[in-house]
Amino acid sequence: MSKTHVTCTVNGEETEFLCDSNQTVLDVLREDLGLTGSKEGCGSGDCGACSVLVDGRLVCSCLMFGSEAEGTSITTIEGIADGENLHPVQSQFLKHAALQCGFCTPGLIVATKALLDANPSPTDEEARYWLAGNLCRCTGYDKIMNAVHAAAAELRGESA
Amino acid sequence: MNAEFRIIGHPQPQVEGPDKVSGRAIYTHDFMLPGMLFGAILRSPHPHAKIRSVEVSGALAMPGVVTAISGTDFPDLMYINAGPAFADRYAMARDKVRFVGEEVAAVAAETLAQAMAALAAIKVDYEVLPPALDMSAALRANAPEIHQKPKFQRNVAQVSVATFGEVEQGFDDAAHVFDATFEHGAVAPICLETNGVVASFDSERGDLSIWAPSQAPFFVRKELAHVFEMPLEQVHIRSVVIGGGFGGKSQSPEPIAIAAQLAMKAGKPVKILLNRQEEFLSGKSDHGKKMRVRSAVAADGTILARHTEFWVDNGAYTHMGPAYISGVRQRTCNLYRVGAAGFDGTLVYTNKVSGGSYRGMGAPQIIWAIESQIDEIAERLGRDKLEYRIAIANRPGDQTPMGWNIGTCALAECLAEAGRRIGWDEKKNDMPPNRGIGFSGMINPSVGVLYPEGNFACVSIDLFEGGRLRVGIQSADCGTSQNTVMAQFVAEELGIDADLIDVLHMDTDETPPDLGSAASRVTFVTGNAAIKTAKTFRAEIKARLARHWQVAEEDIAFKDGVAGYKDDNERRLTLAEIADLEGPFRVEDRHDIDLPRPDPSTGYGHYAATYGFGAQAVEVEIDPDTGHVKVLKVVVVQDIGRVINPLALEGQMHGGIVQGIGMALREELVFDQGAPVNASLITYKAPRIMDTPEIETVFIETNDPTGPYGAKAGGEHSICPTPAAIANAVAHATGARFSKLPITAADVLNARTKDQPLALKSWKRPYNLEVATARAMYPKVLFPGLKKVGAAVGRKRKPKLTYDYVRPDDLTDALRQLAEPDRKSKVIAGGTDLQVGMRQGIYDPDVLVDIADLQELRGIRIDDDHITIGAAVTISEIIEREDLRALHPMLCDGLARIATRQVRNVATIAGDLSQEKRCWFFRSGAQCYKAGGASCPCYAVLGDSRHHSILGAGRCAAPCVADAAPILTVLGATVVIAGISGQRRVALEDFYIWSGETVVKPTEIIHSIEIPRARSDQKQSFEKSAGWDGDFADASVAVNLTWHSGSLSSARISLGAISPLPVRAAQTEKALLQGKLSDADIRAAAELTVHGALPLSGNSYKTHLIANLTERAINTCLRA
Repeated sequence: MSKTHVTCTVNGEETEFLCDSNQTVLDVLREDLGLTGSKEGCGSGDCGACSVLVDGRLVCSCLMFGSEAEGTSITTIEGIADGENLHPVQSQFLKHAALQCGFCTPGLIVATKALLDANPSPTDEEARYWLAGNLCRCTGYDKIMNAVHAAAAELRGESA
Repeated sequence: MNAEFRIIGHPQPQVEGPDKVSGRAIYTHDFMLPGMLFGAILRSPHPHAKIRSVEVSGALAMPGVVTAISGTDFPDLMYINAGPAFADRYAMARDKVRFVGEEVAAVAAETLAQAMAALAAIKVDYEVLPPALDMSAALRANAPEIHQKPKFQRNVAQVSVATFGEVEQGFDDAAHVFDATFEHGAVAPICLETNGVVASFDSERGDLSIWAPSQAPFFVRKELAHVFEMPLEQVHIRSVVIGGGFGGKSQSPEPIAIAAQLAMKAGKPVKILLNRQEEFLSGKSDHGKKMRVRSAVAADGTILARHTEFWVDNGAYTHMGPAYISGVRQRTCNLYRVGAAGFDGTLVYTNKVSGGSYRGMGAPQIIWAIESQIDEIAERLGRDKLEYRIAIANRPGDQTPMGWNIGTCALAECLAEAGRRIGWDEKKNDMPPNRGIGFSGMINPSVGVLYPEGNFACVSIDLFEGGRLRVGIQSADCGTSQNTVMAQFVAEELGIDADLIDVLHMDTDETPPDLGSAASRVTFVTGNAAIKTAKTFRAEIKARLARHWQVAEEDIAFKDGVAGYKDDNERRLTLAEIADLEGPFRVEDRHDIDLPRPDPSTGYGHYAATYGFGAQAVEVEIDPDTGHVKVLKVVVVQDIGRVINPLALEGQMHGGIVQGIGMALREELVFDQGAPVNASLITYKAPRIMDTPEIETVFIETNDPTGPYGAKAGGEHSICPTPAAIANAVAHATGARFSKLPITAADVLNARTKDQPLALKSWKRPYNLEVATARAMYPKVLFPGLKKVGAAVGRKRKPKLTYDYVRPDDLTDALRQLAEPDRKSKVIAGGTDLQVGMRQGIYDPDVLVDIADLQELRGIRIDDDHITIGAAVTISEIIEREDLRALHPMLCDGLARIATRQVRNVATIAGDLSQEKRCWFFRSGAQCYKAGGASCPCYAVLGDSRHHSILGAGRCAAPCVADAAPILTVLGATVVIAGISGQRRVALEDFYIWSGETVVKPTEIIHSIEIPRARSDQKQSFEKSAGWDGDFADASVAVNLTWHSGSLSSARISLGAISPLPVRAAQTEKALLQGKLSDADIRAAAELTVHGALPLSGNSYKTHLIANLTERAINTCLRA
């Protein structure tokens, strides 16, 4: 089994790695790059805990090979905040208790950011449809919806 | 907001929140130690077998492997689990395995891949024994003996019988007797974080350190010290962030001792993480139960007596089964006013994964049974079902037949408020069709646990330099915000801000003893200890300053975080200054709930300090065509004593309710041959975000004198009434009462249609005679025979873990790669099926050829007469093309119902069409006909066939679930296939050979899909019924009708997910073209779709489903 040399951008930094052909982007992020914020909840694309943005598109990093990342730009949960300043999606998740155990939270925050980048004023139905790939077992989702709408309002510059 | 307190009753975000939202929180999955090895566990493939021998030497010779162990590497001791009388499980199987997934051996290697590979080199010699796979099989006189337990009858782990009061008299005096039996299987906790562990052993000191997401470090420590014969002090449980509990991480999960043994033997730390399938196979599920509930009711509605005879499925080993027995007893005897009560409970061993302590401990289902009966009593007596409940509600000062003394109790108020908020009085006589409202009450002790250790808790408070406080608790916060609540208690008590307080949980070196996070006990028991410790801390400060200042303690005040002597401004110190003066110091204190224990033989007696009560009201809407139940609204009104943190408490309510929705309508582990076939998060149907109803949460504060600031427990309360309230709402909407959970869409549809079977005319397909004959021979002859032969000579699948990856320059290069001899090549684009399938052993390529970016396969082109979609175009790219949607709305809207955003962003149109079968037997590793070849059986014939074909199934019953298939069929699409010698074109109707099998050869690549442009006189519609919209369909239909000069000139209808191939509904098309289009004509035409069907035993609901969807889709076209 040969290793593939990959050059890509991770959270704004140019990154190189050598990966086995069976290593997923999630494996590379967690094991080789020390970015353990993205979680493995299922390993089969069913739960969304490993969600990252690849060239702006929301994907499950457990379903993408490291080799396929060549030339891409990847954003993980570690790249959402601006230094120590939380992104509005992060701070609204915190404020609205849209997290409990927190294991699904990185994926949900990345997914929500992607949603609001694409659609700054999602309806309830649009938001739920977009987030259907992210399982959460703790919150019952209600507070997640509150946080999504609050973050959307904040990003639109409306006072919460 | 509570004005009485500064911090109690006010929303307080989670103390770990900032780390969690930024990805910094370190869970066990993320935790590393230098030199750490990776462990993997070999599991039993048999539900019941003797282990003749385990030989690990082959694994030791594999690359990177450091050590390997089997059961005999552990001392000859069993876990304590539910107590020494119940002990029945070794740390690893020794002489016998008793369920599929039981731990038989383990290895530790330098990488996880090496450890996984080495498992295959372990040789286990099994003598397969006949299994007892369910309770009725286990209780037969000649059943296989799972454990030798001479105390009770064969395969019985516990018997619990008692009556309190005159139960027989009650039934003699009754004006009405109600008698019904209820049944449910097991749900799974589904923590997003699977179980895992890092274990490290210091051989010089003999110290074992464990990092693991345990709800109860107390139990882990006790069990490890026991099974390794170590002093308790040498077992150290460390603090980690935990990704969910719900009972799935209580007691001592098995991987912990296995990692510990590996670490001791290897002399290096070892990490084991369960993958999702292992979590399903070996993690603790809920317990299945069968309950016969009888109620004796007087003419005025008084419940004179209630009796429950019940059987709890223990699984293979006793962990929490006795607690489930207790859960049923408690509700039988204490929910609503009951004159006398009795129970007869039996805990039954089966060869299945052991039950654990899933949220609610069996209460949600026994409450469902009781509350279903309460509804029936009200109906028989002609009473309003809410008014009747309020009349019989427990009230303060009651003593129940079991001896519980009810203190504060707002059950009647909770019920009334729930009724008011759901609008019962306004709606009850004016419900729209297919709508229903249901109610349920609940009772839960605060806090009753079966262990004496559960009724006390200790808390420490450390003062550190700089004035920060650290509260130490040995309970584990699994995400419930209990750490935040502890900080609130201490902050309120000391008059300081909660953010000055850190909370350390779990660590058995740094924090004092506590049973752990179970039985909703932490806020109530540990919370009381936190308050007491804060008072002790304040007293300690006063004592220290009194010594320092040489004054009397009572003259020192400690207020708002500042200590001072009378009005003396010179003698005032902040916490930081006290820390400077005195140096860091620590106090500990403990809270005991001092109650006499109930009678151990009968359970009679006051059990808990107080009891929580609540009510839920639910409104549902039924889709009459599909049977889907949509929960529109849940009102929860909870007597919580006092709200400590509304954010956290609402979260507990919402989370429990949504888990209750799953339990009521969707979730269950489906077993076949002893193993769950739905061991993935796509086949196990945990609720998703679009399943959440509006939830209205109301708390009634009864200010309980026994609770911390008056609070009662809360963690499990919310799930308890949800299934009952939903079931009662479904009964209200449909008139049908269901005696099993979950109440699936198929169940509702079956109930609605049971008197109206459709004419199937199975003889229209002569092949059906052959199939029916074979199926008749399956139970006794064919299945056992083929299973045996298939196991011996069938093709074995092997998970594909290594392969090469190439990125071709262009299509020609890709085709050349595929044609390379002496290796198996496979194209990859989105990879959403391929990657998972390789792990399942379905695909075994040597080389993956990445075609995702090949320009020849990309792009959507809209020409005058047709549309060309490149094979590697993703589903998202298609549905986002507004110009395409304008031309073919059904194509875009239909494909938008595939999977999830993440999957649609990479999955391609060609990949959707080409995906392998989704049959859960095939996917979960069964040695079935399609996996193992002609010598193997189809598991759907005798197994759970709810998702399988009703039409055209032969030796394989897997349906074609590609949503694109029926859509593209009715659009008249053509698949363009590229080969080394050029392109060929295949009509979509000729594309499939069988479910998941197409005419595309291994050396070919799908190039594009061509679709004729829609004409302006065309109307199209796609309907799909699935667990949730993005799920694989149980039935789907695409309809494309064309008009010419005002009359219907063409009808194309294709049916999905009911047959191994997408099938044209030719008879329906023909009927429509006759031009009669009245409602009755359309219905009759739609029913023609099932002509020739031959359903399996578990999927005849699909005949109605496909007819209903077809009718709906045709009507949509006609009305458009």
